[in-house]
Amino acid sequence: MSTNGVGASGPGELPAGGGEAGLSTDGALLEVTDLRVDFRQHGSVVRAVDGLSYAVPRGRTVGLIGESGCGKTVSSRAIIGLLPETARVTGSVRFEDQELIGLRERRMRAVRGKQIAMVFQDPARSLNPTLRIGNQITEAIHLHADVSKATAHDRAVELMELVRLPAAAERFRQYPHQLSGGMRQRVMIAIALASQPKLLIADEATTALDVTTQAQIMELLRDLQQRLGMALIMISHDLGLAASFADEVLVMYAGRGVERAPTRKLFEHVRMPYTRALLDAIPRLENPPHSPLTAVPGQPPDLGREQVGCPFSPRCPSVTDKCREHAPPFEEQEPDHRWACWHPCGLERTS
Amino acid sequence: MAVPPTETAVPGLMDPATLGPGLVPASAGGRFGRLRSIGGIWVPAFLVLAILFLCFLWPIIGPVPSPTGGSILNSNLPSFSPGHLLGTDATGNDEWSRLLYGGRASLEISMAVTAIGLLVGGLLGAFAGYVGGWRDSVIMRVLDVLIAFPALVLAVAIAERLGPGEVHTIWALSFFSVPALARIARAATLRVREQNYIVAAGLSGSRHWRTLLRHIMPNILPELMTFALLGMGIVIVLEGALSFLGLGIQPPTPSWGNMIASGQGLLSAEPKFVLLPSAALFITVVCFNLLGEGLRARWSAQ
Amino acid sequence: MSEPLLEVEHLVQEFTVRDRGGAKAGTVHAVSDVSLELATGETLGLVGETGSGKSTLARAILQAPPPKSGSVRLRGVELVGLKRQKLFEARRQVQMVFQDPFGSLDPKWRARELVEEPLVAFKVGTRAERHKRVDELLDLVGLDPTRFGGRRPRELSGGQAQRVAIARALALDPALIICDEPVSSLDVLIRAQVLGLLERLRTELGLAYLFIAHDLALVKQVSDRVAVMYLGKLVEVGPAESLYREPLHPYTVALLASIPSPDPSASRRPVADTIRGELPSPIDPPSGCRFRTRCPRAQDICATEEPPLRRLGDGHLAACHFPVGAQESNQTAPALAGGAHDAATD
Repeated sequence: MSTNGVGASGPGELPAGGGEAGLSTDGALLEVTDLRVDFRQHGSVVRAVDGLSYAVPRGRTVGLIGESGCGKTVSSRAIIGLLPETARVTGSVRFEDQELIGLRERRMRAVRGKQIAMVFQDPARSLNPTLRIGNQITEAIHLHADVSKATAHDRAVELMELVRLPAAAERFRQYPHQLSGGMRQRVMIAIALASQPKLLIADEATTALDVTTQAQIMELLRDLQQRLGMALIMISHDLGLAASFADEVLVMYAGRGVERAPTRKLFEHVRMPYTRALLDAIPRLENPPHSPLTAVPGQPPDLGREQVGCPFSPRCPSVTDKCREHAPPFEEQEPDHRWACWHPCGLERTS
Repeated sequence: MAVPPTETAVPGLMDPATLGPGLVPASAGGRFGRLRSIGGIWVPAFLVLAILFLCFLWPIIGPVPSPTGGSILNSNLPSFSPGHLLGTDATGNDEWSRLLYGGRASLEISMAVTAIGLLVGGLLGAFAGYVGGWRDSVIMRVLDVLIAFPALVLAVAIAERLGPGEVHTIWALSFFSVPALARIARAATLRVREQNYIVAAGLSGSRHWRTLLRHIMPNILPELMTFALLGMGIVIVLEGALSFLGLGIQPPTPSWGNMIASGQGLLSAEPKFVLLPSAALFITVVCFNLLGEGLRARWSAQ
Repeated sequence: MSEPLLEVEHLVQEFTVRDRGGAKAGTVHAVSDVSLELATGETLGLVGETGSGKSTLARAILQAPPPKSGSVRLRGVELVGLKRQKLFEARRQVQMVFQDPFGSLDPKWRARELVEEPLVAFKVGTRAERHKRVDELLDLVGLDPTRFGGRRPRELSGGQAQRVAIARALALDPALIICDEPVSSLDVLIRAQVLGLLERLRTELGLAYLFIAHDLALVKQVSDRVAVMYLGKLVEVGPAESLYREPLHPYTVALLASIPSPDPSASRRPVADTIRGELPSPIDPPSGCRFRTRCPRAQDICATEEPPLRRLGDGHLAACHFPVGAQESNQTAPALAGGAHDAATD
């Protein structure tokens, strides 16, 4: 089904991220359509997610990329119903033909953690500090399957080995504080995998880790994904990470999707100026010292205010009046490449 | 060690406070959340102000007779008698007036004690927390001795030594408030001291005293104030106890405590002499407590 | 131009760890015998991950707290052991920008007061002159004084708060600014803005930077020279380009391999080939070379003898018994076979 990257792969090298073939959404595992999330408080409304649509095919990785406040975390919580009471969610999220928005909590629990699992950013806060990690894994196993204690124990050790936790049998009895950040995150992944979910949402799962640990965990996730045929939504602010590990990238800004394409296509033909800005802002190893980083001025918009026109217009280098007045639609404008921009990079300006 | 952009740091389950710029946390409390957040501070604050107004200003501007020096001819008038809304006591003093003046005495003492606690205790504790080392140990050990005594026992012992009267009562109760607030101040200082802005102040050339007064104190003040308000309730009760025991304010000057004491004998015949000052005491303490709680909730959410 | 601006020699910083009863339970060897130099106007990048000691090193240079042993000379003046007044004077020349802008700004103070504080502490000028200087500084960092001067940190965004911190650091005209992960907690696009600002200030004011970060690509972009730290030790130092093209130390190689490249067609070396295992405890670091427990090239001698920092190229030093040669750094890694069969290079 998936082609492992085109291009010479020597021994020991990883396939490049992103297949050449387009990704069809037939039989997509998860389909998000026009998702909107509002937070209401004290009479004001904050539009955290403003019309988001994308699909996650089985067994593939979708990278959800954006800076803080763009709505990527809120949208993923909306999928599994983990938003606070003050949130109002509209739109559709179909998971294997089941509509998740508005699902009763009891039925959501059959999905959340079991079919869709989530790994969060800060493992120190997600793990119970008073329970041994082995017990936390078996707890997850027991939650979703009726097995004996012994079976659960064995399965837990299996999972720990699966996530490459060294000395799994001894670690079983350890407490979270005895583990490093990278190891704790592996435990989180083991817990998430306990029920063999079809979809894993990794919300900035490696952001708080060291660079080398981050690389290790990402490689582990990729490996697991391929072995288990699991789909993965990778939420991050790091486009570089998406380039290396995602099959398809969706860039978000101000609660909306602004560009979406298979990874290679996106990086080779960046269209939306915001994506371009993100790319340009990444320091490259190839750059000589003191080379300037193109900096886009301004800040992300205040989501409590009504947006008129393109949300990026105050900061965009290619902005025109049209951008300020009319928000560009998020549409497929090249095969398998969607964006929301009146003046995309690299194309003739439409007058 | 990578640290995420400040806004995306998200604990296990999403905390609305961290959703990003422009998203303000919804106040906790569900449907009545908004009401509760307003009620949490403003209602008790209003009540406290009302009590203060009644006890301090109203007797000056309103038709309140003197609480002492009543004529025995008017003694034991029932409630709702003309000119005496709550009646008079055994010696002819207006009960309503005694209640207000009694409140004034109680509140004066409590506020003085709390103020001393904040000033002396706060500075002492902050200093101890900031300098650490042997100075910290010495100060805290001395204060620990005082804290070790149950507050009332301590107050009674000192009041007995000093004798009755308002000033002596303030002294006695300060032995309770100073160590209590010093301890709070020290704990808060230990926490604030580790913050980078204190290090930055030092690098900017700020000397120790300057840092203590202009960086540490303002940042521990919210916590101190909250505990001071909660402590007000305790001090008012302690003062009441002292007066009840005959050590604090002496009759005929009224204070809620000695009013309760003298009303004891008439409890079955005329319960109002005990119930009224008790109710006043209770309401006042509850209001201060609610205010302190409300402020604490507000400040810890920030 | 012979005398370096900053000279650090054999710096050691340790912290005692106490168990719950208060008894000494171990010593954290945060910085172990680090020496480096910084010339006027130069940017030295300092890279390291958790436990590397890079932030502790920065604080030790500033004497906040002072190091356990070693020497720190600023323009020839020894800082270690300076007390009170003299230290106070010396602080004028070195300032710091912290990682979390909100943590480094007193939340009760206003932006203007924060920037003015160093001037007040050192009694610079009259009140009017100070206010003028504060306005200048805020302008310099791209903040309109009328709009932002009266704001408290919580009324600022991350990028704006960091700019205030930078303005404060500039107030006394220091020669050296230590930037401890100055952009790590900022959004990607804002990072570029702040980095651009730092770069502009560098050229306009002739500042030297000690730029600390965990992101090697970022450090390389802004530095003339780069130093790599691991578990309290300096493992490699050299010109930024050389470090990238010809990394000598296996840890540097691992760091380079870990950087996600925004180019999907670039072939990537799996990190597992370059580094393995977990970070050892700084209380009980490995004997000999501290990196040996995770190094694919480790051999027996690495456990018994600590490799010194040796000059292996033009201005390029590494502490390794088996440094990576130029011809090797571009090849795929040899199979991990316990390391004992790896061919040793010079």
